[in-house]
Amino acid sequence: MAMKPEEVLRAIAAGRGDAICVPTMTTAPAWRTLAPDDLSITCVGFMGGASALGLGLALARPERRVLVLDGDGSLLMQLGSLATIAGARPRNLVHFLFKNGVYHTSGAQEIPGGFDVDFVMMAKGAGYRAAYTIGDLGEFRRRLPKILTEEGPLLVELVTGLAAETPMTARGGKPFHQQAEELRQRLLRVGA
Amino acid sequence: MPESIPASLIIDTLKETFREARGGGRHEPLGWILSVPDTHQRTVLAALDKERAIRVVTCATEDEATTAAAGLYLGGEPAVLMIQHAGLYASVNTLRGLGIDGRVPLFYMIGLLSREKDKDPRESRHSMVRYCEPLLDTFAVPHARLEGPDDLELIPEYYRLAQQRRGPAAVLVGLETI
Repeated sequence: MAMKPEEVLRAIAAGRGDAICVPTMTTAPAWRTLAPDDLSITCVGFMGGASALGLGLALARPERRVLVLDGDGSLLMQLGSLATIAGARPRNLVHFLFKNGVYHTSGAQEIPGGFDVDFVMMAKGAGYRAAYTIGDLGEFRRRLPKILTEEGPLLVELVTGLAAETPMTARGGKPFHQQAEELRQRLLRVGA
Repeated sequence: MPESIPASLIIDTLKETFREARGGGRHEPLGWILSVPDTHQRTVLAALDKERAIRVVTCATEDEATTAAAGLYLGGEPAVLMIQHAGLYASVNTLRGLGIDGRVPLFYMIGLLSREKDKDPRESRHSMVRYCEPLLDTFAVPHARLEGPDDLELIPEYYRLAQQRRGPAAVLVGLETI
């Protein structure tokens, strides 16, 4: 049985420490509840941008882990970011890919290729240091501490079912510009 | 008449811009260039390959370059986007979402590939040249033309403008750099 995305996110929230997190689309509503802090920035309004936003943050803050909470449909919109990230070699970047096979937010239409799209192979081919799939929650929990300290860039494909909420059913949360300013100010305070 | 600008002058200006953005002091890298390779500015990109003070991240698309620049900004790092006009057209939604709605300062150096030396860009026979300024106007992005070495001050000026207005600003590189 596919993992519940909320359970995966709960495990990440419990283990992330002071990592910067970049949720997008269907990971966003649950993350807002699980981690209501100012070290997260939700990618909304610029489709597929979570991976590249995470890259910029990881390059700017090499002393901190950056966790991208991406979706399969979202990554397909900026698939070239796999090569861009691999080329920039951010050691502190973990790219979690929530794979549910559909564009859940827009009505659960199947993504091109559906579940057959092999993101692990693509990440490895692009040059990520490592990439693998996890489809069992127990295994994910066991491996998470190592994932969160492993040298990146690392892609972890997470085979999940559909989230209970999407940005269309659970609107709200701070607007991007407010999240952005709060995150920047927090990071500048720490870096000062 | 517009003149080509030597790469070395542009790189010196970028270094000064980054130093000013950091408020002086030594820092490595001094700043970041997010680039999708641009024929028009290729001599600058080639010279940047040998630069240690500025780190270049080559991106697969302008969407990624713009978004990565935003991430660097959030992390407190100064960044400049070097793209081509066609790349601006390709990444308009990201410009809108991050630069306008997201209020992220984004500074672009946009190469006007195929711009005719003896024509105003708005009168170019090439649509990719002709529509660049009108597109920036549509999104209320302040812009200026880099038409020769005397215009280099526009780089720090428009970089500062992007920071001050918390949004995008651009300089358009008129002729191929040398």
